[in-house]
Amino acid sequence: MASELALSARGVRMEYRDRSSDTRLVAIETMDLDVADGEFVSLLGPSGCGKSTFLKIVNGLLTATAGEIRLRRNGKGREDAMVFQDAALFPWYSVLDNVAYGLVCAGVSNAEARKRAEPLITLVGLGGFETKYPYQLSGGMQQRANLARALAVDAPILLMDEPFASLDAQTREVMQAELLRIWNAAKKTVVFVTHQIEEAVYLSDRVVVMSSRPGRILADIPIALPRPRALEVKRSAEFTAYAAQIWQLLAGQRAPAAAAPES
Amino acid sequence: MAVESAAAYRVIQPRARRSRSSLRRWYRRNERNVLGLAGLVTFFALWQVSSNLGVIDDLFFSSPAGVYLAAVREAQLPRFWRDVQYSLTEVSVGFLASFVLAVPLGLLIGWYRRVSFAFDPWLNFLNAIPRPALIPLVVLWVGLGIEMKTIIVFLGGFFSIILPTVEGVRTVDQGLLDVAHSFRASQRRLFASVVIPATVPFIATGVRLALGRLLIGVVVAELYAQTQGIGVMIARAADALDSSRMLFGVLIFTLMGVLTTELAGRIERRFQRWRPSANLDLEEGN
Amino acid sequence: MATISVGSSPLARPTPRMIRLVRSNERLFYGIVGFVVVGLVWEAAGDLGLYRKSLLSTPSLVLTAAIQDFGSGAIFPDLRESFVEFSLGFFSALGIGIPLGLLIGTFRRVDHFVSLLLFGIYSTPKAAIAPLIIIVFGIGLESKVIFVFLLTFFSVIVSTVAGVRSAAERHVDIARSFGASRWLLFRSVILPSTFPFILTGIRIATGRALVGVIVAEEIAANAGIGHYIELWGAFLQTSKVMLGVVILGTFGIILGEGVRRIEKRYEVWRQEIH
Repeated sequence: MASELALSARGVRMEYRDRSSDTRLVAIETMDLDVADGEFVSLLGPSGCGKSTFLKIVNGLLTATAGEIRLRRNGKGREDAMVFQDAALFPWYSVLDNVAYGLVCAGVSNAEARKRAEPLITLVGLGGFETKYPYQLSGGMQQRANLARALAVDAPILLMDEPFASLDAQTREVMQAELLRIWNAAKKTVVFVTHQIEEAVYLSDRVVVMSSRPGRILADIPIALPRPRALEVKRSAEFTAYAAQIWQLLAGQRAPAAAAPES
Repeated sequence: MAVESAAAYRVIQPRARRSRSSLRRWYRRNERNVLGLAGLVTFFALWQVSSNLGVIDDLFFSSPAGVYLAAVREAQLPRFWRDVQYSLTEVSVGFLASFVLAVPLGLLIGWYRRVSFAFDPWLNFLNAIPRPALIPLVVLWVGLGIEMKTIIVFLGGFFSIILPTVEGVRTVDQGLLDVAHSFRASQRRLFASVVIPATVPFIATGVRLALGRLLIGVVVAELYAQTQGIGVMIARAADALDSSRMLFGVLIFTLMGVLTTELAGRIERRFQRWRPSANLDLEEGN
Repeated sequence: MATISVGSSPLARPTPRMIRLVRSNERLFYGIVGFVVVGLVWEAAGDLGLYRKSLLSTPSLVLTAAIQDFGSGAIFPDLRESFVEFSLGFFSALGIGIPLGLLIGTFRRVDHFVSLLLFGIYSTPKAAIAPLIIIVFGIGLESKVIFVFLLTFFSVIVSTVAGVRSAAERHVDIARSFGASRWLLFRSVILPSTFPFILTGIRIATGRALVGVIVAEEIAANAGIGHYIELWGAFLQTSKVMLGVVILGTFGIILGEGVRRIEKRYEVWRQEIH
């Protein structure tokens, strides 16, 4: 591809040693993945297939057993920022302080961090709620703040770990559309983890389908739906075709019965 | 993949090869216990050494060796075993009595909401009274014998168990009650199938609190009214400045304390299928 | 045939204001009623001779004793002594125990090293050591303060360490994800997470400290409420004994409720993620 690669993973493998029985759990069998600058890529698969694990390896929360990941250097600071699943805001900080948190961690002064956080709060549609606390916000609003926090750090790569999983169906759809709007404005590279086919097809340029544990890539499907995508596109024939194709791929896979340490 | 200069990319490396040494692996798995044991050993070692070096006064603080010798001596005296039996009797009778009375009463009171409101102030008040403060009162009732200590243990256990039980009955999920009602369950079946199981975690908490509280009760009651029991052994040893024997008595209570705390914790965990809120009065004993 | 219109059913009579008030404050209302009723029953039973007054006294006699001893000020030295013992021991233990607990909880290896030892000491009924302490430190204020200190200290340190341990792993992950330094992690995640647990620990410790005061005084003392109770018990003055008991119970409730109020305010910070 002509565009630069933002992320390039080769041979990534993740094993866990179960402490009590001393057996080895293979979360990720092997993964090769390339993500171009500005691309929106989804990792889609059943629970326990290792997609969240991969994200955590990229983010540095976990260390892979084998394999290498290359991230395009960002002159200004971090390369990646994570948007976590639910319960991702600190209950003791206001929305403003939560959004500013990533910057504070990077060494920015409190005042400066708050200043930089404010436009992002407006961008995600939470203008006016800066001084509210998480318990005063709905689930959707909390996830908007979650997103704003990751955006504030201004890292070129956004890692999103099933951020809408705990939202109800309507809110979820609204957030999907919102995400695309924000992504357009912010021009980030996104690696988005989900187990919902519809969500993956709607949001992404490419859908990377993973098998159940031990995880490996089953298919890498480019989604040729034109952008910008309104929610109505979910009703179109092409969309349904993509969804069906992916569903077929996954139909042979089942989520593993044993409790997985990571998904 | 395009060949980029190394400086343009940050590379995330995999984990370095873990040491295969099985000793290391064993250690990593059991680190918590190894360190904990090391802590205990260090404590006793320091104690012994300080005693030998004269850093602490042997008269007051004794030493592990001294306590051990005292233990060996005591174990050969029938008086000692009578004391142990005495203390154990107080604890078991008092606790069982409190359990047998507090649970049904608690269920009853909690079931009738208005009644529970009415009894709340008094129950809370009585629960807030430090058990030792009741000793002189109980002495006025039954004198200084084993009855007094058992009653103190009983009172400690009773209020510790009845309050969570009432709370448990009161907070039974309305949804569950609705289900039972819609199936036209009789009052008794409702009670047996919904209320009691739902209250069990609360009762378990109450038991844990009770086990903790009653140990203090035993010790203080025995120190106060010196007839028989391990507490008496402690008091007499203290009077005679025989700190070894005294600390041995303390050790016995420590053992009881550890056992009851562990037991109570296990019981509670076993019955905690769900926790309604994190704030289930986390009080513990000793 | 009458049509059914919602809101004008014959059963929907306007309820008297009194009843509506009662319904909304049911808990308070029945609480007061219960309190008063039991008090009256107690009084009546005593006056009617259903039991010997020397066993349980009656509210009126306790009140008389209260007026007597408070009026003459005879009880004040005892109150003050207990109060001082409690405060000195309790607050100094908080001041040392909480930071120490935070320290221990933050460093996993240290936590493991001391945990068995702490558990053992924590499970020991400190009352068993009371005679030793009295012998070493005498019959006066110092021994009581030390005793209260010990009780509070071990109680508070255990709950603080437990609080640190329970800092939600998710929140720690978030801090690490954004590259927080160890100090920032402590300040922004561990400290706020632990705070509700520290408050609960303080509440529990107040109960223990109160017990400690009483136990130490009962074993050997010249002043204090525990001493007061014991003294009048020996003289068979049940009313005064009850008075002392009532004072302690009231104090215990006030302390407990006070901390509980503060706890509720920070309840939101206690997020448990499983």
